Amino acid sequence: MVRTSLPTRWLLRVLAVAYVFFLVAWPVGLLVRRTFEGGFANLADALADPQVTGALNLTLVVAFYAVVINLVFGVTIAVLLVRYEFPGKRVLSALIDLPLSVSPVVVGLALLLVYNGRDGFLGSALEENGVQVIFSSPGMIMATCFVALPLIIREVVPVLHEIGDDQEQAARSLGANARQTFWRITLPSIKWAVVYGVVLSLARSIGEFGAVKIVSGNITGRTQTATLVVEAKYQNFQQPEAYAVSFLLVMVSVACLVAVAILRPQREQ
Amino acid sequence: MIWFSLLVLLPLAAVVAAASQGGWSGYWSALQNDQTWAAVRLTVTQAVLVTLVNIVLGTVIAWVLVRDRFWGKSVLDVIIDVPFALPTIVAGLVLLSLYGQNSPIGIEWANTERAVTLALAFVTLPFIVRTVQPVLEELDTDVEEAAASLGASRATIFRRIILPSLAPAIAAGAALSFARAISEYGSLVLLSGNRPFETEVVSVRVLTFIENGSNTSAAVVASVMLAVALFVIVALDLVQRRVARRW
Amino acid sequence: MSIEVSGVTKRFGDFVALDDVTVSIPTGQLTALLGPSGGGKSTLLRIIAGLDRADSGTIEIEGVEATRLPPQKRNVGFVFQHYAVFKHMSVAKNVAFGLEIRKRPKAEVVQRVDDLLKLVHLSQFSHRLPAQLSGGQRQRMALARALAVEPKVLLLDEPFGALDAKVRKELRDWLRRLHDEVHVTTVFVTHDQEEALEVADEIVVINEGRVEQIGTPEQLYDEPANDFVMGFLGEVTHLGGLRVRPHDIDVDRSPVQDGAVRGTVTRLLRIGFEVRATVTTGTGEEVTVVMTRTHARTTGLEQGATVFLTPTAGAMTAPVLAG
Repeated sequence: MVRTSLPTRWLLRVLAVAYVFFLVAWPVGLLVRRTFEGGFANLADALADPQVTGALNLTLVVAFYAVVINLVFGVTIAVLLVRYEFPGKRVLSALIDLPLSVSPVVVGLALLLVYNGRDGFLGSALEENGVQVIFSSPGMIMATCFVALPLIIREVVPVLHEIGDDQEQAARSLGANARQTFWRITLPSIKWAVVYGVVLSLARSIGEFGAVKIVSGNITGRTQTATLVVEAKYQNFQQPEAYAVSFLLVMVSVACLVAVAILRPQREQ
Repeated sequence: MIWFSLLVLLPLAAVVAAASQGGWSGYWSALQNDQTWAAVRLTVTQAVLVTLVNIVLGTVIAWVLVRDRFWGKSVLDVIIDVPFALPTIVAGLVLLSLYGQNSPIGIEWANTERAVTLALAFVTLPFIVRTVQPVLEELDTDVEEAAASLGASRATIFRRIILPSLAPAIAAGAALSFARAISEYGSLVLLSGNRPFETEVVSVRVLTFIENGSNTSAAVVASVMLAVALFVIVALDLVQRRVARRW
Repeated sequence: MSIEVSGVTKRFGDFVALDDVTVSIPTGQLTALLGPSGGGKSTLLRIIAGLDRADSGTIEIEGVEATRLPPQKRNVGFVFQHYAVFKHMSVAKNVAFGLEIRKRPKAEVVQRVDDLLKLVHLSQFSHRLPAQLSGGQRQRMALARALAVEPKVLLLDEPFGALDAKVRKELRDWLRRLHDEVHVTTVFVTHDQEEALEVADEIVVINEGRVEQIGTPEQLYDEPANDFVMGFLGEVTHLGGLRVRPHDIDVDRSPVQDGAVRGTVTRLLRIGFEVRATVTTGTGEEVTVVMTRTHARTTGLEQGATVFLTPTAGAMTAPVLAG
C-alpha cells in the first residue's frame, strides 16, 4: 500500500465527518429531540388528529399501489432492455433515467397538462367516463410511479447483465417455456435486486412531495399525503405536529436504509 | 411500452407542446420576466456552487470511506444515504431545526440565499460519494504502487493516477448532483421562504405559475428545466461510453 | 552483492510471512525467488521494493541502507502480476511516466521511450491505450516502464502468472534474452519451478517464510538440500524405500542389476514423446517411471508386463522419511 501521511489522513477524516455531521446527523438528531421535547405528547397529539391519520393512510395506499405498479413494469422493462433487441432501445434506456433528473414540479405539471379534467389531452375524455385522475388518487399514484420508476429498473438491469442468459438457455433447452423460465430461473436470480429496488421505491414513494402537491390539489382531509401535512402543519404554526409526522417519516426512511444495509451483503454473496 | 408512454413520454411532450403555444415570442417573453430570470440565475449559481462543493467534499468523503479506517465509519456510510431516503419536505424541516430560528449554534440562515445552498447541499450529498466510492474500491492499489516505485510522490500519484481514474465517476456524480440541484423543490419550501428575487428558485417559480393558473408560463420554464435534464442524461451516457472503451 | 537482506521478519496478524530471512542477491544476475503460493516470496520482493515494511531486519540495495526508505527513493523497477498499467495513459505515456517524474528534458524522454519500446517490440503501439493491448503486450509495456528510470534493480512479481501457457513460455525466453542485453540485477518471483530452472542464474527457494536453499538451477536440481527442495523442483517417486526422480529409474525385463525391484506395469500413459508407467511392486508400492517413447518400445514396456526397477547409477536418491 502507498500510505497516506498521518496529518493528511486526519485532516480528510475530520473534514468528512464534520461536513456530514453538520449537514445531516446533527439536524436529524435535533428533529428527533424536538419531537420528544414533551415526552410522547407530540406524537400522541399528532396521531389523534384525523387530518394526520387520514394523510398517513392515504400515503400508505398511494405508496403501495405505486410500488406494485413499478414492480411489475420495472421488472418487465428491465428484462426487455437486457434480453431483447428492438429499435429505440438506447433511447428508452436513456429516458428511463429521466425521472431522476426531472424536477418533481415539472413532473406534476406534465401530468396536470395531460390528465386534468378541464382541458387535459386525455383528462377530459377520462372525466366523461367518470374517471378523475387529477386531484384524486389515480393522479397521485401516477406521479409517485413517475418519480420512482427508475429505481427498480436500475437495480435489476446490472444484475440481469451479470448473470447472463446461460441459465435461461439451459432451462429452455430442458423444455421450459418462457413463463416457466422466468418464474423458475430468472426471478430467483434477480430476487435480491428486486427487493432492494422495492425498498428504495417505497422510501421514495412515501417521501414524494412536489409532484404529488401539484396533482393532488392538496385538499385537506382528502388528497393530502403525509409530506403535505408536514408542510401544512408547519405553516399553520402547529410545529410540534409537523415534527411528529416528520419523525414518523424519518423512521420509515431509516427503516428502509437499514433494510437495504442488511440486504446488500446478501446480494453480494 | 404503452404504460411508459402514458406515464412519461406523453406528459413530457405535453409540457413542450404547452410551452410552444405562444410561439417563440411568447416563449421568450415568458422567460424574460424579471422574476423568472432572477430565479433562473439564483438556481444555476447555487447549483454550480453546490456541485463544486460536492466535487471536493464528495470525493473526500468517498476516499475516507474507502481508504480510511476508524471507529464509526460504517455509521458515516449509512448516514450518507439519509438524504436519498428522507422526504424532501422533512429535509427542509430538519435543516430548519439547526439553521433556522432559535438555532442552537446561533446560525440563522433561514430565508436567505445560504438556506438555498444548505438545502441543495443536503439533498445532493450522496451523488458524488456514491458514484466515486465503488470506482475507488475497484482501483487496484498495485497501480499506485507502480507509480510510487517509479518515483512519484503521494501528491503526484493522486494527481496523475488516482484523479484521472476517478474523473469520469466524479463527472457523472457532478452531473447528477447539478441536475438534482436545478430541480429541487421540496426541501426549499420551508427553508428558503421563497422570497421573489432573493430566495425563489425555478421550481418554486413554476409552482407559483401553476397556482396562478398560467400553465403556459409554467410550461415554458418547465421545458427549459426538462432540456437541462435531458442534456445531463445525454452527457452521462457519453461519459459512460467513453469510460467503457478504456477497459 | 547488489541486494543484502538480513534477518527480515514480517507478520500479518498471527501469520508469519517471513521468518528471519537472510539472502544476498548478486549484481547483474537473474535471480528467481521460487516457492509455493503463500510461502512469503512475494512479501520478500515487496519489502525489497519498499511496498511493504519489514517488522525487523534490514535491507541494503547497492550498498545503500534502504530499510526505512520509501519506495519512491529506492530506484527499483517493479513489475506486477496484473501489469498495473495506467489505464488512462497511452503506451508511450506509461513508459515516460517515471522520466517525467524525474523532470528529464523532453527530447531525452522521447528518445528513451522510443528506444525502450523498440526493445520490447511495441513501437507500433506507442499511441494506443493499454486496453487495446494483449496481456503479454501489457506486461512488456510494464517492463519497459520499469526499465525507463534505469533502476538499480528490477523486481518482477509473478510477471507471467496471469498469461496463458504459450505466451508465458515466449515471454520467459524473451526475458532471458532481454536480461542478457541489459544486465540489470533482476529478481523475479515465481511458483513455477520450470520457469525458474529455465530462466534464472540463481534460485532462492522459499517456503513457509524461510529460505530452504540458494544455488544455481543445477545445484538445486542435482543436490537438493532437503526433501522439500527435491520435491518442489521436480517429480519424485518412491522405490524400495528411496525417493528418486521418475526418469532416474532403469527398467529391465529381467533382473540384470543387483537389488532390482520386481513389479507389474499396471498403467501406461503416452503424453507426446513421453511414456509414463505406473509399476506396482510386490509390496504394493506404486512407482512412477518416465521414459521416452522409443526407449519404452525397445524395452517392450506394455500393460501387464513384469519389469525390474533399479535407480539409475549416479542418480540422486534420498531415503523416504517416516510418515
